[in-house]
Amino acid sequence: MSVSQLLPLILLLPLIGAFINGTIGKSLSKVVVGTIATGVMAISFVLALMAFMSVQHGEPVTVHLFTMIKTSSFSLNARLFADNLSMWMTLIVTGVGTLIHLFSMGYMKHDAGYYKFFTYLNLFIFAMLTLVLGSNYFMLFFGWEGVGICSYLLIGFWYQDFKNTLAARKAFIMNRIGDLGLLIGLFLILGKFGTLEYGEVAKAVMTEGFEISEMLIFGITICLFIGATGKSAQIPLFTWLPDAMAGPTPVSALIHAATMVTAGIFLTVRSNYLFELEGAHLTKDIMLYIGLATSIVAAFIAMRQNDIKKVLAYSTVSQLGMLFVALGMGAYTAAMFHVTTHAFFKALLFLGSGSVIHAMSDEQDIRKMGGLRKKIPITHITFLIGTLAISGIPLLSGFYSKDEIIGHAFESHKFVYFALMFSSALTAIYMFRLYFVTFFGTFRGTHEQEHHLHEAPASMTLPLVILAILSVVGGLLNLPGVFLHSGTHWLSHHYAHNVAGMAVGEHGDPNTTLMLMVAAGAMAVIIAIITYIVYVKKNSIPKEDAQVKGWEKASAMKLYFDEIYDFLFVKPILWLSEKGAHYFEGAFLHRGVVSIGKVIGKSGDLVRKIQTGRTDNYILWMVFGIIGLIVYYIIYSKN
Amino acid sequence: MEVLLFILPVFFALSVLIVPKSGVRAYGIIGSLAVLGVVIACMMQYSNDGTVHLFGNKEEWLRSTGITMSFGYDGISLLMLLLTAVLVPLILVSNFKNELAENRLFTSMVFFMQLGLIGVFISMDGLWFYVFWEITLIPIFLISWWFGAPERKAALMKFFIYTFVGSLAMLAALIGLKVNAASFQIEDLKAVILTSKTACWLALGFFLAFAIKIPIFPFHTWQPDTYTKSPMAGTMLLSGIMLKMALYGMIRWMIPLFPEAMSCLQYPVIILATIGVVYGAIIAIKQKDMKRVFAFASMSHVGLIAAAIMVWDFDALSGSMVQIVNHGLVAVGLFLAVEIIERRTGTRNLPDLGGFAKQAPKFAFWFAVLAFASVSVPLTSGFIGEFLMLKGLVQFDMIIGIIAGTTLILGAVYTFRAYQLSMYGPVTRDQFADLHWSELIVLAIIIIAVVILGVYPAIITDFVNPSLKIVLETVSTPSGL
Repeated sequence: MSVSQLLPLILLLPLIGAFINGTIGKSLSKVVVGTIATGVMAISFVLALMAFMSVQHGEPVTVHLFTMIKTSSFSLNARLFADNLSMWMTLIVTGVGTLIHLFSMGYMKHDAGYYKFFTYLNLFIFAMLTLVLGSNYFMLFFGWEGVGICSYLLIGFWYQDFKNTLAARKAFIMNRIGDLGLLIGLFLILGKFGTLEYGEVAKAVMTEGFEISEMLIFGITICLFIGATGKSAQIPLFTWLPDAMAGPTPVSALIHAATMVTAGIFLTVRSNYLFELEGAHLTKDIMLYIGLATSIVAAFIAMRQNDIKKVLAYSTVSQLGMLFVALGMGAYTAAMFHVTTHAFFKALLFLGSGSVIHAMSDEQDIRKMGGLRKKIPITHITFLIGTLAISGIPLLSGFYSKDEIIGHAFESHKFVYFALMFSSALTAIYMFRLYFVTFFGTFRGTHEQEHHLHEAPASMTLPLVILAILSVVGGLLNLPGVFLHSGTHWLSHHYAHNVAGMAVGEHGDPNTTLMLMVAAGAMAVIIAIITYIVYVKKNSIPKEDAQVKGWEKASAMKLYFDEIYDFLFVKPILWLSEKGAHYFEGAFLHRGVVSIGKVIGKSGDLVRKIQTGRTDNYILWMVFGIIGLIVYYIIYSKN
Repeated sequence: MEVLLFILPVFFALSVLIVPKSGVRAYGIIGSLAVLGVVIACMMQYSNDGTVHLFGNKEEWLRSTGITMSFGYDGISLLMLLLTAVLVPLILVSNFKNELAENRLFTSMVFFMQLGLIGVFISMDGLWFYVFWEITLIPIFLISWWFGAPERKAALMKFFIYTFVGSLAMLAALIGLKVNAASFQIEDLKAVILTSKTACWLALGFFLAFAIKIPIFPFHTWQPDTYTKSPMAGTMLLSGIMLKMALYGMIRWMIPLFPEAMSCLQYPVIILATIGVVYGAIIAIKQKDMKRVFAFASMSHVGLIAAAIMVWDFDALSGSMVQIVNHGLVAVGLFLAVEIIERRTGTRNLPDLGGFAKQAPKFAFWFAVLAFASVSVPLTSGFIGEFLMLKGLVQFDMIIGIIAGTTLILGAVYTFRAYQLSMYGPVTRDQFADLHWSELIVLAIIIIAVVILGVYPAIITDFVNPSLKIVLETVSTPSGL
C-alpha cells in the first residue's frame, strides 16, 4: 500500500474502534471490547510503521480527503500530511497508545464503564492523530480541541464522585483559554498568508525576500505559544494537569504524559520557521523563561507531594517546562528527542504507579505504602528503570536527551544552564524519594491491603517491560558524537531530511559535551546515594500534613497557585455573575423597564376602564387595530 | 407550488381545529412534514445562482398604497425556510409526551406561527415583511399566555410591550423610507438614496425591532422571564426560529436598505452585541434555573451572530449562516433536555438535581453531545460557524474579536456546570426514566444534523454563498466593504 492509502487508514482505525465499542460495546464481553480497541491500535501502529518506512527517505506526502469549506479568500481542507516529524509523532502516539490500551485491559477489568473507557480512549487517539497528521493549522486545531474533549471525558470518567467532574471541567476550561490564543494565532496567519496549510506557509516564509512586520510575527508566535501553554501545561495555565490525575491511571499515562501534553511542543516544532523569523526572538525568550520557571516551580512542588500520581504529574509539568526551554533556544530536535524518551519513561512511570495503585487496592498515598519491592517485583524493577531514566543516570535514555538540552543551554545561556541543572537535581531528588518511600522500608498500609498485595496480570506487566526496555535504549536515537564517529545524531538527520525548516545544526565540541555529561551524571548518582541514605538507611517517612512547615509546606501546598487563581479569577467572575444577575439585571435593567411601563400604564388608566379584563383578547384586538391603522394611514397618505 | 407555502400552514392551522382530539398529535406532525416537503421541493427547483426567485405579482397590488404582492426567495431565505420547516416538526415531536400536544388550539397556533415565519422569510415587500413580522407575535404570545407557567402574565406583558415598541419603530422607519420610494417593493426601497444622517435614524428604527427580538444587550430583559414562563414549545419556537427572523432581517433588510447607516451603526452595534456575548455568558454561570442558564446562553450565542453580521464580511456572513442553523438546532435540543428533566422531576432548579447519568445513560449521552455542540467543539457545526465569525471579528477589530472570543471559555463554564450539576454527582431521585422514543428521535436528529454540518459545512455554505455574494455586492457601504 502506498502512503496515501495508509494515512487515512491509520487515522480511521481508532475511530472505527470507538464507533464499534460506543454503539454495541455494552452488549459485548469485556475481553472482546478490549481486544477490539487494542487491536485497532496495534494495526494502526503497524500501518504507521509501514508509512514511516516509506516516507523516511522520500519526500513528504499529502493526502487530500475533502474540502470542508471554501470561502471567498481561503479554503479549509481535511488533508493529511506525512513527513518525518508527523510520522514520528504518529509512531509515538500509536505505539505507546497500543501499550497503554493493553495495560488498560487489565487495569480497568472490574470497572462497569469498561466499554465506555475504551471508546473514549480510541476516540482520543483519533483526535490526537488528527492533530499530528493534519496538513494544516486548521486540522491541528480540530485535533487540538478534540483531544481536549477526550481528556475532559476521561478525567471525569468516574463521575459519581463530583470532585472528578470538577477536575475535568477545570482542565477543559483552562485548555480553552489557551485555545482562544491559538485560534487568534490562526486568524493572524490566515490574514497574512491567506492559507493555513503548513506547506504553503513554510514556502512563503522561506522564499527569498519574504517580509513580515515584527509586530505581526511576534503576535502570531506568541498566540501559538499561548495555545501551547494551555495544552502543554505551562505557567500560568498548568494547574489543571495535577488535578487531571482524577482520571484512571492509564489516562494519565497516555494523555497527560506521553501524547496530548506534547501537542504544544509539536506545534512549535512544526512552526519552527515562524519562530526563527526576526520578530519572534522575543517570543522565544518568553518561551525560554516561562519554560524554565515552570520547570523549577513544578519540580519544587513535586518535592513534597505524597500522592504517587501527583508527584508524577508535577514531574511531567517540570519536564514539559524543560522542553520549552529547549524550544526557546531553538533546539527543536533536542526537544523532540526528549519528547520521545519522555513518552517512554513517563508512560512507564505512570503505568508503574497504576500497577502499584492496583496492587494497593486503590491507595495512592506513598506514606501508606513501603516495602513493595518484594511483593510486586516486575513493577518494582520497571519503576526503578523509569526513575533512573528520568533522573538522568548515565547510559539511560533520559540522560542523553536531557543532556542535549542542557548542552545547548551551556553554549548559549550560562544562567539557563545552571537553572536547568538545579531543576534536574530537584527531579532526581523527588523521583528517588518517591521510589525509595514506595518500594523500600516496611509496609505501612492496612492489613487488608497487605493481604491483597499482588503482582499485576501479564497484560499489565508486558507493557511495563516493553516501555522499560525503550527507556533504556531510547538514547540511541540521537547519540551525541562523543563515543562514536558514525551513526550519531540519527534523529537530527532524520528530521532535517524532509521536515520544513529543520536542519542538522552544529553539535557541541565533544570535549565540552563529555564534561557536561560527566557533571550531570555524577550529580544524578550522588543524589541517588543521598536519597538512599535518607529514605532507606535512616528510614524516614514523609511527615503528616499537619507537621510540615516552611518551604516544605509551600511545596506541599503547591505554592498556593490554586488559591491565588481562585482569588484572582474564579471568585471575581462568580461574584460578577451573581451580583450582576441580582443588581444589574434584576434591579437596574428590570426596574428601569418596569417603571417606563408604569408611566405608560398610568397614562392609559382612562382607556383601561373600557377594557374587558381579558388581556389576551385585548392584545388580539390591539394587533388587528394597529394593522388597520397602518392600512388607513397608507391609503390616506397617498391621497 | 410556492403558493403552497402559504396555503398549507393556513389549511392545517384551521383544519386541526376540527380533528378529533386523539388525532391531533399525528395530524400536526403530518402537517408540518407536508410543509417540509414543500420547502424541499422549492429548494430543488431553485437554480442556485444566488438571485431572488420571485413568484408574486411584482405589480402594485393596491395601486394607490405602494404595496406590492412581491414574494420570493433566494438561498438565504430558503435556508431559513428549511430551518423553520425542520424545527417545527421537531418541536411537535418533542412535545409528543405532553398533554399540550393533543390540544387543538396549541397545534393550530404552531401552524399559525409557521405561516408568519414563512411570510417573513419570503416577503420581498417591506410592508408584507412588517405584517408577517407582527403576525408571528400573536401565536407565540397566545401559546405562552394560554399554556405557560402560572405566574406568566407580567413577563408576557413585558415581552409584548417590548417587541411591540420595537415593531412600531420599524414601521415608522419603513414608512419614512417609503415616502421617497415608488413602492414598498424591496428593490424600490433599496433605490432610495438617503443622506447619512437620515439613514442612521431610519436604520435605528429597524435596529430597535431587531435588537429587541435577537435580543442584543441591553434590550434583552424580556427574554429570560419570557423563556422561563413559556411552555417548552414556546421557548423552542422563540429561541429556535423566531429570533432568527431578526438576524435574517439584518441581512435582508436593515443593511441593504441603509448602507449609508453602516458608518454610524456598525461599531455601536458590534460593541453592544459583543457586550451581550460576555454579559450573557457571565450571568448564565450562576443561574440556578436550568432554563435561565440556557436563556442567557442563547443571548450570548446570538449576540455573536449579530456582531458577525454587522462586520459585513463575506466569510463572517457565511459563518453566521452556519451558526444560525446550528443555534436553531442546538437551542431546541437544549431546551428539550431541560424539559426532559422537568417532566420527570418537576423542577429545573440545579441544586435539587443530580445523578441522572447513572439512571438514564442514553439521556446522559445525548445531552452530553448537545452540551459539546453548544460549546462549539470540532465535528459540530458550531465550530465552523464560530471559527468564521470570530475570524471576521478579529480581522475587523482585534480587541473586540478577543473579547467576543471569550465565549469559547465562558461557554464551557456555564454549559458544563449546568450539565454536571444535573447529570453527575450523587443520585437525587429514586427513579429517572430514560428517554422516550419521541425524545430520542428529536435529540438524535438534531445531533446527526449538527455533526454532518460540522464535518461538511459546505452543504450550507455552498447553498447560501451565491446569494450572500449578491447581497454583499449590491450593498456598497461607504467604508468600502
